[in-house]
Amino acid sequence: MLTLTGVVAGYGGGGNVLQGVDLSCPAGSITCVVGPNGAGKSTVLRVISGLLRPRGGAVTFDGHPIGGIAPDAVLRLGVAHVPQSHALFPSMTVRENVLMGGFLVRRDRALLRRRYQAVADLVPLIGQRQGDRAGNLSGGQRRMVEIGRCLMLGPRLIMLDEPSLGLDPQGLRAVAGLIRQLNQDGTTVLLVEQNVRFGLGIASRGVVMDSGVVRLDGPAEEIMRHPEIATLYLGGTASKPAAAG
Amino acid sequence: MSVDAAVAPIRRRWLGNRQLVVAIPLSALVLYPVIRPYDVYEHLVMSLALLLAIQAVSWNIISGYAGYVSLGHSVFLGLGCYTAGILSERTGLNPFLAAPVGGVAAVVVALLAGSVVLRTRGHAFVIITIALLFATEVVATNWTSLTNGSNGMWLPIPFWSNDFQYLPFYVFFLLVLFVTLGFSAAVRRTKFGTGLVAIREDEGKAAAIGVNTTRYKNLAFCASAFFSGVAGAGYAYLLGYINPTGSFAILASVMVVLAALIGGRGTLWGPVLGAFIVEFGNEAATRYGSNGGANGRVLVFGVALVLVVLFLPAGLLPTVASWWRRRHPTAVRYTDQAAALSDGHIEVRMRASSASTADTTRGPTTLLEVRGATKRFGGLVAVDNADLSVARGSTTGLIGPNGSGKTTLFNLVTGGMRADAGEIWLDQRRIDRMPPWSRGHLGLGRTFQVTRLFRGMTVLANVVAPLPDARWRTMLASAVRGHEADRARELLSYLGLVDFADEPAGSLSYGQQKLVELAQVLMMEPRLILLDEPAGGVNPSMVARMGQIIKDLNQQGITFLVVEHNIPFVLDLCDHVVVFSRGRAIAQGTPAIIRNDAAVLDAYLGEDWAASPEPAARAVPRSGDNSPQHTGAPPVAFLAGGD
Repeated sequence: MLTLTGVVAGYGGGGNVLQGVDLSCPAGSITCVVGPNGAGKSTVLRVISGLLRPRGGAVTFDGHPIGGIAPDAVLRLGVAHVPQSHALFPSMTVRENVLMGGFLVRRDRALLRRRYQAVADLVPLIGQRQGDRAGNLSGGQRRMVEIGRCLMLGPRLIMLDEPSLGLDPQGLRAVAGLIRQLNQDGTTVLLVEQNVRFGLGIASRGVVMDSGVVRLDGPAEEIMRHPEIATLYLGGTASKPAAAG
Repeated sequence: MSVDAAVAPIRRRWLGNRQLVVAIPLSALVLYPVIRPYDVYEHLVMSLALLLAIQAVSWNIISGYAGYVSLGHSVFLGLGCYTAGILSERTGLNPFLAAPVGGVAAVVVALLAGSVVLRTRGHAFVIITIALLFATEVVATNWTSLTNGSNGMWLPIPFWSNDFQYLPFYVFFLLVLFVTLGFSAAVRRTKFGTGLVAIREDEGKAAAIGVNTTRYKNLAFCASAFFSGVAGAGYAYLLGYINPTGSFAILASVMVVLAALIGGRGTLWGPVLGAFIVEFGNEAATRYGSNGGANGRVLVFGVALVLVVLFLPAGLLPTVASWWRRRHPTAVRYTDQAAALSDGHIEVRMRASSASTADTTRGPTTLLEVRGATKRFGGLVAVDNADLSVARGSTTGLIGPNGSGKTTLFNLVTGGMRADAGEIWLDQRRIDRMPPWSRGHLGLGRTFQVTRLFRGMTVLANVVAPLPDARWRTMLASAVRGHEADRARELLSYLGLVDFADEPAGSLSYGQQKLVELAQVLMMEPRLILLDEPAGGVNPSMVARMGQIIKDLNQQGITFLVVEHNIPFVLDLCDHVVVFSRGRAIAQGTPAIIRNDAAVLDAYLGEDWAASPEPAARAVPRSGDNSPQHTGAPPVAFLAGGD
């Protein structure tokens, strides 16, 4: 469904953060990208969503080349991006924030209302707190609203940058459940996670990135079991504790 | 490392170019009157350009570095004019000699205005500066016994021979410009300057790292006023006649702002460059425009401003600099996972306890105590009559569901928000009415859930910026070299980030920013560190390292209060855990107790918690003594093998 071939990208005057990334997300899969901080994982998502123009390589979504096209055009094709940093409008209410997610279809009020209802059903928090200002929510609650907001356009691919960030254990389970639910309903998911156990736990495919390239990809199970990967990036969680002494 | 070797020569050559770029125009300015001594009209125009440059450079100190835009900055020029005029009329003092007094007069007015309006944040300052300009003009018009009102004042005829014409003014303004530039450059190199930029980037965060924002802003405003006041005396002498409408003109203020915006606000040389462009444009409009150029000038300024906003939002110099960087890209650095995970150790700088330990009422073992703190947001009670105490030398964990008020409690303790009720004591001193920086000076540091670095500043500047105390010596210490910068580099290498020292902090990944924020806090020589989700968004291997670092620091006497959702991490790290729910503590005890507490399981962990034991943090070896244990170096071969 989504394919990246030899993507090269970097910010402003800097060098290339991505040095030829090859990545693909088959339709209906949950793909989780892991790797050290600063390896370029979030940059990959920025390139796909059109926030960063690639300097080389190709990005195709459903056969459409989307490398370097405007973010709203990527959105229209059905790719939604939930970035890492909190991006709610703090002085708007939760409901207004979620409705902003449907900005591109704002003319169709009936559709907007229907989608909002669906999202509020899927993420109960949105229904419960819809009149509160987003600025009064805690970090984890904002996360849930952000994910809910990206569903307003009925995306076929959603990209989540560290959905687990700042979530308590119950929140984590709720988000995991939400992601599985969305996936079962036919949405393809691309995750970037530092909470590797959580990320690879719900993913069907795992991708390990380091220093701007993809080191390894394969079924999530296999990635978890890979001994060197485990020691270097997974904190020894998957197989055995990090070699001590 | 090979990357370093490749990058170093590029940097050095570029620095050499930069010095050359600065040296050539400056020597041209010095040599110009020597080579062409009889260009009288040109000397006048150049003198006015230098005058505008002085104003723009001094404006830049408060409005460029600190980000508080003054729209009525020519009020200080006018005050300098009038001080020189009054002094020379009453005492016969030469206006050049009266120049420092003009500067002092400007400082007095700046201090009066600043001490009122700079206490708060935001846009009030802009309005006040405009109001100040108009108010001063009204005073100058009506205080006729002092200023001769709207009739204006005459200044003495220059004492030098007619042959010199405007040359002495040229030299005077050039000298003042050099002094102003020297001051501006010195400010940039001290922690004072770093603090001003910190205020511009994130004032709340600046206060949290010990920057006394009120004092900083006032100092910057005064310095900024001083140089304009000094220049004003020379300007009055040059004009020979001053009156209120001429001395306190809004258009003159607009020119100052425009000059700095065109050249590059917040840079050292940008305002000088901009001043020459604006003054020459102004002169051309006056000379070639119809109607004496008055309307033409306004039109030219308006068009220039529109063009700047559209095409050079950062100003000329920053635009050229970023174009240069794009042409000469440096290699991207990645986290060296193997090096970052290797064991390091750092000596913590400790401060003496400020309170006597003889006090028996609260006991010396409690470092932080929160009593009955309450904070409401509208109808929502975020912190509800909460009590919390943190024992000296402990690592206390604070866990609880999202929205239970943990971060709000942090904000109350560090001063980011003020509690509606309750008391907060740190080391037997009540701190809940103190400004955030004073709490920082007592040894209280914090990190943020979503990192708040000064994204435009380099990583090194970010780490140098915090102030452990309120002393002037600390404030005026060099931020570029010397013990402060050395200490910052030491902390960065401890955290495996020294290679990133000269990168803008905004270019770092999230997890790296977390580490930089920790380095910032350590720079404050804290006794108590509040960590808001230190492991969130950090690579699992680094999480283990983070745990090691916290333990290492804790053994050296730093107390920690940690908010974290990674439960295995918390249970392994902390010796005492407090569980928050609905704005107050519902349970506390040792990790073993918390793990089995029914209320905790219900409110937070969920009943199936016990079924998923995550060993994430258990990879951290518990070191019982001071000598850090060495975890085996990860297989470096893997990293090298991929290239």
